[in-house]
Amino acid sequence: MKYQSRMIAMASMAAFALAGFSPAALALDVEAAKDLAEQNNCKQCHGIKKDKDGPSFLKTAEKYRGKANAEDEIVKHLTSGKKVKLADGSEENHKIVKTMPPNDMAQIKNLAQYILSTQP
Amino acid sequence: MTQSDPGRLGWWARLKRPSAKHSVLALAAVGFVGGIVFWGAFNTGMEATNTLQFCVSCHEMRDTVYQEYQYTIHYSNRTGVRAICSDCHVPKDWTHKLIRKIKASGEVWGKITGSIDTKEKFEAKRLELAQHEWERMKARDSIECRNCHSFEAMSPELQKKTPYKKHMEAKAAGKSCIDCHQGIAHKLPKGYKKPGTDDEEE
Ligand code: HEC
Ligand code: HEC
Ligand code: HEC
Ligand code: HEC
Ligand code: HEC
Repeated sequence: MKYQSRMIAMASMAAFALAGFSPAALALDVEAAKDLAEQNNCKQCHGIKKDKDGPSFLKTAEKYRGKANAEDEIVKHLTSGKKVKLADGSEENHKIVKTMPPNDMAQIKNLAQYILSTQP
Repeated sequence: MTQSDPGRLGWWARLKRPSAKHSVLALAAVGFVGGIVFWGAFNTGMEATNTLQFCVSCHEMRDTVYQEYQYTIHYSNRTGVRAICSDCHVPKDWTHKLIRKIKASGEVWGKITGSIDTKEKFEAKRLELAQHEWERMKARDSIECRNCHSFEAMSPELQKKTPYKKHMEAKAAGKSCIDCHQGIAHKLPKGYKKPGTDDEEE
């Protein structure tokens, strides 16, 4: 019991520490973000550091580094399906991210944070 | 898990004890065979085995894959054509159906032994179960998918450009749906990476 509550205290301290690095209030769950990207085939068009049809996640992170509205912009991008240009010049609507249950903003925000946290 | 479940521990302990072995094992065997017969009776007698209700009558299926499936396009979509469990998991022709059924006796066994009777056990075994299905589908060129879909019926005008291009390349290269479409009806196993999404991290 004592051990358990100490673990909880430590975990929440770690969570606070993590949150301190990013402007967001919640701690980033990297594994959940990766799994969501995998399930949605995002990596078909985005490398972590490599451009494919779309920009690498690193490039996006750098584009938004230090911008206050970064997370909202990414969330909007992932939920609106606006037209984007592919490498071969053709256009198509950007993939709208699917979650289980549908439109779970917590999961989508977590994915946005994960993308924005990409480091060189 | 087993430790905190005295009922099951007792069951196993008794099973392992030589003196009691015969009767309990015999009992298990009867249950096992009974389960197969039960499964078989449903399957041949009527097509009831293939209904969603039958598959989710076990909590092992209902509390896990079924929950996720309900959020996917094969459960609910614009045109109202639903693919149910058996459409993807039970072959339509007799011989392969029989093979699947005999393999399904592993599910009855799994039910008896509680192989995935908790969320934790399910997660731990999920990759293995998924791999069985991937192999099974791959071996028959994703026939279950192709009962409803085909490369030929894909419209270059109506399908998005990227998938269309991929599909025509895949057709030429002799690839199968399941090579690329994993995790369409359920979540992927945690931490699983699809083949071909070349990944430069780590
Ligand atoms: C068919 C290819 C394709 C897929 C699949 C795809 N993307 Fe994109 N994505 C693009 C392209 C192309 C752009 C460039 C858009 C632009 O610059 O106008 C882009 C841009 C982005 C951006 C940058 C947005 C910005 O404001 O700069 C992010 C973030 C992103 N995608 C995330 C994702 C995620 C997450 C997924 C999976 C849910 C995904 N993408 C799936 C092609 C794709
Ligand atoms: C008697 C309870 C029960 C019923 C009914 C049931 N399942 Fe299962 N199923 C299980 C258990 C337990 C496992 C795990 C077996 C193991 O541990 O290998 C499983 C595993 C599976 C797997 C993974 C197969 C593999 O080769 O590893 C699939 C696919 C599956 N079930 C689909 C179905 C479908 C489709 C139906 C309806 C036709 C169905 N199940 C009905 C209990 C059940
Ligand atoms: C019973 C018929 C049926 C079977 C079997 C079936 N599908 Fe589907 N599939 C559908 C229908 C219907 C839709 C939804 C079409 C729509 O409304 O856009 C669909 C949609 C899809 C989509 C589009 C997903 C999206 O989010 O837009 C993919 C990918 C797909 N199926 C792949 C598969 C694969 C792979 C298999 C085999 C494992 C399979 N399907 C088996 C009927 C089926
Ligand atoms: C080489 C890989 C590959 C193979 C093989 C493949 N697909 Fe796809 N498919 C894709 C990609 C990539 C997409 C677009 C990304 C996404 O949403 O998953 C896609 C999208 C789809 C869609 C949605 C199309 C749309 O307009 O939104 C359907 C339906 C589909 N595939 C069915 C199939 C079926 C059925 C087969 C087997 C006959 C198959 N695919 C084989 C890669 C493949
Ligand atoms: C559209 C096709 C489709 C439908 C419908 C479908 N499945 Fe699946 N199922 C798959 C595929 C493909 C896999 C292999 C793993 C993956 O790619 O997610 C799978 C995997 C599984 C597994 C192994 C564990 C896992 O998650 O990988 C079980 C158990 C299972 N399905 C049971 C069911 C049950 C029960 C239903 C009905 C409630 C059902 N499936 C409906 C396609 C389908």
